[in-house]
Amino acid sequence: MNILGTGIIFSRGLGVAALENALRAGWQPPDEIDLPRSAGLKRLVYQVNLDAVPDKTLLKKNRRSDKLSKMAVLAAADALADSGIAQTADKRIGIILSTAFGAHVTTFDFLDGILDYGEANVSPTTFSNSVHNAAAAYISSSLNIKGPTLSITQFRFSFQSALQLASAWLQQGRCDYVLAGAVDQYGAVLGYVADQKLCSAPDGKIKPFTFSPTCHVPGEGAAFFLLGKAGPENMYCSVTAIHTGAEPDNPNPPDIDIIDADGMLPDESAYIAALRHGIPATSYSPVFGSMMITSAFNIAAGALMLRNQSCYAAPVLDNPHNIRLLSESGKRAMKQIRCTGYNCYGDKSVIYLGRD
Amino acid sequence: MLITGLGVISAAGNNLSETLDSFASGQRNCGPLTLFPSQLPYPVFEVKNLPDNYYLEGRRTLSLAMIAVDQALADARLSDIPKYRIGVCLGTTVASQLNDLQFYMTYREKNSAPMTAADRFLKGNLAEYVSRRIGARGPQLTVVNACSSGTDAIGVALSWLKSDLCDIVIAGGADELNHIPYCGFSSLGIVNPGLCAPFDRDRKGLNLGEGAGIMIIEKQSVAKIRGVTSDLFLAGFGASGDAYHLTAPSPEGIGLKASLRSALAEAGIQPGEIAFINAHGTGTLDNDLVEGNVLADIFGQAVKMLSTKGYTGHTLGAAGGIEAAFTAAGLRYGWIPASAGFENRDEAIPLSPVGEKTSVSGQYAISTSLAFGGNNAAVLLGLENIK
Repeated sequence: MNILGTGIIFSRGLGVAALENALRAGWQPPDEIDLPRSAGLKRLVYQVNLDAVPDKTLLKKNRRSDKLSKMAVLAAADALADSGIAQTADKRIGIILSTAFGAHVTTFDFLDGILDYGEANVSPTTFSNSVHNAAAAYISSSLNIKGPTLSITQFRFSFQSALQLASAWLQQGRCDYVLAGAVDQYGAVLGYVADQKLCSAPDGKIKPFTFSPTCHVPGEGAAFFLLGKAGPENMYCSVTAIHTGAEPDNPNPPDIDIIDADGMLPDESAYIAALRHGIPATSYSPVFGSMMITSAFNIAAGALMLRNQSCYAAPVLDNPHNIRLLSESGKRAMKQIRCTGYNCYGDKSVIYLGRD
Repeated sequence: MLITGLGVISAAGNNLSETLDSFASGQRNCGPLTLFPSQLPYPVFEVKNLPDNYYLEGRRTLSLAMIAVDQALADARLSDIPKYRIGVCLGTTVASQLNDLQFYMTYREKNSAPMTAADRFLKGNLAEYVSRRIGARGPQLTVVNACSSGTDAIGVALSWLKSDLCDIVIAGGADELNHIPYCGFSSLGIVNPGLCAPFDRDRKGLNLGEGAGIMIIEKQSVAKIRGVTSDLFLAGFGASGDAYHLTAPSPEGIGLKASLRSALAEAGIQPGEIAFINAHGTGTLDNDLVEGNVLADIFGQAVKMLSTKGYTGHTLGAAGGIEAAFTAAGLRYGWIPASAGFENRDEAIPLSPVGEKTSVSGQYAISTSLAFGGNNAAVLLGLENIK
């Protein structure tokens, strides 16, 4: 299965060019936002600014949708456009949207409606947007995609599951292409929950290689990929393996190890054992913010590096365990990148990206 | 792929045997809402007498799921879970949201709230919970495709097995009655203040329900190793989007037609080989009109068809799992119940559901789901030894 197009929206903008610029520039401080009903209290968040999206066509088309759906539509459309595949109307394209928390912000808006106006006076539009598969439905209608459309949630490994299923769909001929991706939105309530359970980074800096104690900075955004069996010359790379659970031995060591460490677990020491000795390691969570779906964003970075045969230095280099970090950006011959993640149960996921 | 186990719980019965009794007698267990306080007047199909040993405070969907999972595992004689690569793919709507009204009220008022509800949510991902609870070591996935979630989950199971991601899949759906859909569907103006009447001329909307429906689906080779067999098999699946509207189906039923054709193609059979169809049949004006016309278009006006939502209500993410299990039972036992609530033919719909308990014979049957967002899905089940 090959990555033919990448679409991304995050706090630093929309599109692969924004991704490239952000990876090149490295860490930047997050936004400081006011907490609702808490005079003077702030939270550091990597927030998406939809007002900064230059082309408003899709935003206008989806004006009644919530922010989660808008981000998903923009990233999915971006991935399709980035692939350069023309005439998609006659192609069977599937959609797999993965998310950890879905439309939770809109769900709380709906609860506001019940509490403020009573059960009989809630908004049908808010309810419709609160349904988990609304975002995928907006992608389908905005891009006129009529293939199988699936929304899935698995907290930390949602995106890995999406890739695994996309590969099966392509293999079985259920689709010609699959738009698979991940989206999550920051919200004040889950921000509060995260504050109760995790340590917030006081300086706004996620330190992926500190491992314990960890600190997080909430992020939001969407990353989508157009996946296909055949790959044109300009494709990004192949997804050569996806493992959840045990990782079989791979005799070919990766050129770079990317880890999903982002402070969303109180202890991320498991990554130490997962890293291969001598292989330069990196993590781009300090660029995107902490998200359960962070692997989708790291995969976007990995795919870009393989296509461009250029690497980007780890954005935060705090390194108390003396891991060999990818400390410099620049041209680099690479054939394989490994992306590793862990969930709260200690289960491991591994995605291999390759380019010959 | 063999279907070696079935488990089901809904207002129609706490297991398949009780359900078939309700079907045979035409009993409809719909009544006033008792699970949470509400000012809205709509009746619901609640599951009664949940066994104490399955009670999980604040996580009713998981309780319902585990009841059906345990039934299905027992039916499949599958106890040595760690020995096989068992995947878990389940659909839901309610269990995927942090939607605890009390938690949110407290948070709004005090800017803080106890973490109990959040903890339940974070440890309550449906597939993840079931997988951990039984010790499965295959892939796990929670499908949140609104009302087609359960059907889509069975489709994912078929894909997993065909791609050798696992040997056996526990697939289906589970959902509890919850405040958000109860108010939400009411706001859409599609809830019936009386009993739902799928495909009836005078239908006035749906009733909400709850429950779980589970299938154990496995490779024939694995079933052979386990020393089990089954007359039921999963023959095909199809899913397509309408790309039309968030809350209304495409008037031409584009996505449903494509889903049905995909399922038939995967099974390698013709529409004429279908013994009966367990339709989505919610009892709403739009759904039944579109679905009835599509089914007549593809299968002809004489095809035997029913909706079982007159016995269960619309169980949302569970519906596809529950109705696939009912479809399997219909094939196996050779009869389907009267499509409860149907009395008068709608002239705009070229076919009518069965009005009484009806014998069916044939090797194949279909269960359909139409969902929010224009999702359409169809599973095609087969019977090895036709009665």
